[in-house]
Formats: sequence, C-alpha cells, structure tokens
Amino acid sequence: MPSIDDVTDAPDELSDERAEQLLEEADLVQDMMGEVCPYPQVEAQKGLQKVDAGELLVQETDHVPCTENVPRAVGDDAEARVWRSGDGLYRIYLRKQ
Amino acid sequence: MAPTLLVAAVVGIGLGVFLQKGRFCFVNAFRDFFAYKDSRVTKGVLAATLLTMIFWGIAYQLGYYQGFWTPRWGLTGLIGGFVFGVGMTYAGGCASGTLYRAGEGYLQFWLTLLFMGVGYVAFTLAFPTLQSAYFAPLTFGEGVSLFAVSPVPAGLLAVGVATLGLLAYATLIGRQASDVDPGERATTASVRPTALLAPVVGLRKFTRGTAAYARGLVRAWRTPLASSKRPWDPRTAALGITAVAVLWFTQVSIVGVTGPEARWTGYLLSQVGVDAGAYEYWGSILFRGEGVGVTVDMAMIAFVIVGAALAALWSGDFSLRVPKRRRLPNAVVGGTLMGAGSRLAPGCNIGNIYSGIAELSVHSFIAAAGIVAGVYVMTHWIYRDVGCAI
Repeated sequence: MPSIDDVTDAPDELSDERAEQLLEEADLVQDMMGEVCPYPQVEAQKGLQKVDAGELLVQETDHVPCTENVPRAVGDDAEARVWRSGDGLYRIYLRKQ
Repeated sequence: MAPTLLVAAVVGIGLGVFLQKGRFCFVNAFRDFFAYKDSRVTKGVLAATLLTMIFWGIAYQLGYYQGFWTPRWGLTGLIGGFVFGVGMTYAGGCASGTLYRAGEGYLQFWLTLLFMGVGYVAFTLAFPTLQSAYFAPLTFGEGVSLFAVSPVPAGLLAVGVATLGLLAYATLIGRQASDVDPGERATTASVRPTALLAPVVGLRKFTRGTAAYARGLVRAWRTPLASSKRPWDPRTAALGITAVAVLWFTQVSIVGVTGPEARWTGYLLSQVGVDAGAYEYWGSILFRGEGVGVTVDMAMIAFVIVGAALAALWSGDFSLRVPKRRRLPNAVVGGTLMGAGSRLAPGCNIGNIYSGIAELSVHSFIAAAGIVAGVYVMTHWIYRDVGCAI
C-alpha cells in the first residue's frame, strides 16, 4: 500500500474500534487538549515514570505535531500507536516497555 | 497592485499550506534536536534554507530580484535573537509556526499573535530611548549580503556555502551514527579513524536517506488525493517553501514575518484612532514615511493563515482549540518576548534563519546564533523536570 507514511516515520495507526477498546484498558489517561509542544512531550515522560512496564498511557491531544513528537520523545521507553479522529482529535497510546 | 496582490496570495497560501502540512516548526527543529537528537524537522529547515540560498543566489546573479533585507550588524542581533529564541520556545511556536497554528484554529496562538503585538507596541514606544541606549552602542557596521560583496559569482558562492553546510551536517550525523554503534567503539584505536570518516559515513547516510525519500515521494504521487490528506515529510514542505520563496524574491522581496506583523499592529491601531504614523518607528522606519496602510507583504502573511486553514480543513486537522488556563502565560510572556525580541534583533526565525541565511546577510548569521542560543537555554529550562540530555 503506497503512502506518504513511507517517508514520515509516523507511528502505526489504530482503528476506531481498537482505539476505543484500548482507551478503556488504559492505566493512565492524560488530557492534553489545548496543549502545545513541548509540554505533552514532557508530560508523557513524567507519565511513563508513574506507570509500570507493560501498562498503557494514553494522551488525548488536539495538537497535530504531538502525534509524531511525543512518540519520538519517549523513544524506546514505550511502544507508540496513534489514533486520528479525522476531526482534529488525536490519541497517543504509549505502552511502557 | 493587482498582480502583486495575486503573487502575495499565491506565495502566502502556498507558505501556509506547506508549513501546515510539513508541521514546519523552527522551535521543533532546534528544541527536539537538542533534547532528543531528533533531526527530522531540522532536516526540513536545513533543506529549505540551503535550497533557497542556491536559487536566490542564482536569481541575484542573473538580476531577477527585487532587493535584499540587510539590517546593520552588531550585538543587537545576538541579544534580540536570544530574547526571541527564549520567547518562541516558551510560546511553543516560532513566528511562522504561530501563523500556521492560528490558521489551524488554535486560540492559544491568536493570543500569542496579540501579545506579539503588545511587544511591537512596547518596542515602538521605547524606540527613541533604545536608539541611543541600545542600537547606537551595539551596532558595529552597515548591513551587507555576502552575495553583494563577494568576488565569487553569487550562484557559485551559494552552491559553495550550501555544500559546506551539507558537509557539516554529514559530519554531524556521521559522528552520531558511530556513537550509537557500540561495535565501532570497541577499542580506542578504532575511534580515531571513525571520527575522520564521519563526513563520509554521514554523506552516505544522507544519500541513502535522500534516495529513500525520493522513492517515497514517487509512491505518494500514485495516490495524490489520499497522500495530500496525510502529514507530509518536512523535506516535501521545504521543496514547496523554496518554490514560493523564489517567486516572492523575484517579484517582491525576501520572506519576512515579524516586520509585516509590526506594520499590521500599527495599521490596526491606526484604524481605532491611534496616530501610528506619528511614532518614529512606525512612521519613518516600518512604513518609510509612505503613510500607514496595507502593504503587499502584510497581505502575504495574512494569506499564510488562510493557506494553513485551508490545508488543515482538507486534512481534517482543523478545529477551534481552546487553550488551558495554565498555558496562558506561554502566550502572554512568549508572545511579548517574540514581539519585542524580533524588533531588538531585528528579525524573527524566518527573517534571520531562513531568509537571512539564504541571502547571506551578515546580520542574520549573528541573529540566528542568538535565536538558537535562546532556544537552547529555554529548552534546558522546560525539560528541567524530566532530566533532558542537554
């Protein structure tokens, strides 16, 4: 499937269904609506310090660049997935490694 | 005026679209490079600046240009740039980033724009004092573009400087590549040749990266509609920005943001009864004694917001975003520092880092160093709680 994703390094996207399901399982949900970089990156790192390995941290954001910057900021500390609503709302799913 | 206005619309909307789609942010480019060694956006900024330098150099040499912006150089660039760099890092968006995010529906950045206006007004009021107490002692020489004084033809000089820039970048990524590979660090004897080979390793990485990028771009073109809605690589944005910047350079001037914004502030105040033209800074410097009105570059930056809004609507990224109360100081303090800093320098990230370096203006090299230093210090402060690597 050819896509511009091949050159953007964006994290894998979740389906609507899977995103909802994972949100219910989340161990920590951070409300980052209205927040801009770099604060969600800093909060994600702080949040990951609070959860245990294997647990799930979800950030809700309306800041597009965060969908790439937050996963890159946490690096190997967490496995990242993203969900885009198509309407300016995004969720970043970080499973602590 | 009509054709010029059309150029302003094409350039402004183009810039807005490319900035939004590439999430082309100068704060991100430096901050994340310092904090995480993330060079994705840095690459875009470098590519846009070096490519624009080459095309502007050629256009200048052939006589197809309207003029350079070369403020007098001195420590003002370093100090003002530093203030601006601190401000844009705290605000979370540079001068161009603030514009495109305002277009995406961030009320936070409309507030930042408002307080940049406050910074311009404060500067204008203080200008008579600043001129004798700040600009006079800290300015050392007439502004000049190396294109204008170098014996080397401008096009060739641009290619030469861009090549040096590329080599410096390659050395940096080459060194990073050898840093992360523990195998190459096994013995002290192997470290030295690795350091010497860094530019070669880096150039090879650069070539591979560029080839992979080109293949991705070709694949993306096969599904133009779907691809246009996806986020773009900052390098794609860099190509687009270069194209509209060349159009602007040949038709109007170099690309600037905060100069036109400072004019907007004077113009809007004149609309509510303030005699902006009576203030020396607006009247004789920004509007050059030609009266307070809407100039073509003011129209261009307004179109940047329009372009970003269109791109965001098309991508599903547009929504009215209400800021959290705890973020208001970022807009208020960051915006004011950006407004004041961009006048003290003078020039913002676009005027000095992008356009200024692309036109090889001596002032801009100093101001760019000041801006990057400001970002560095502020990044350190913001990440103080999470143990940032710097």
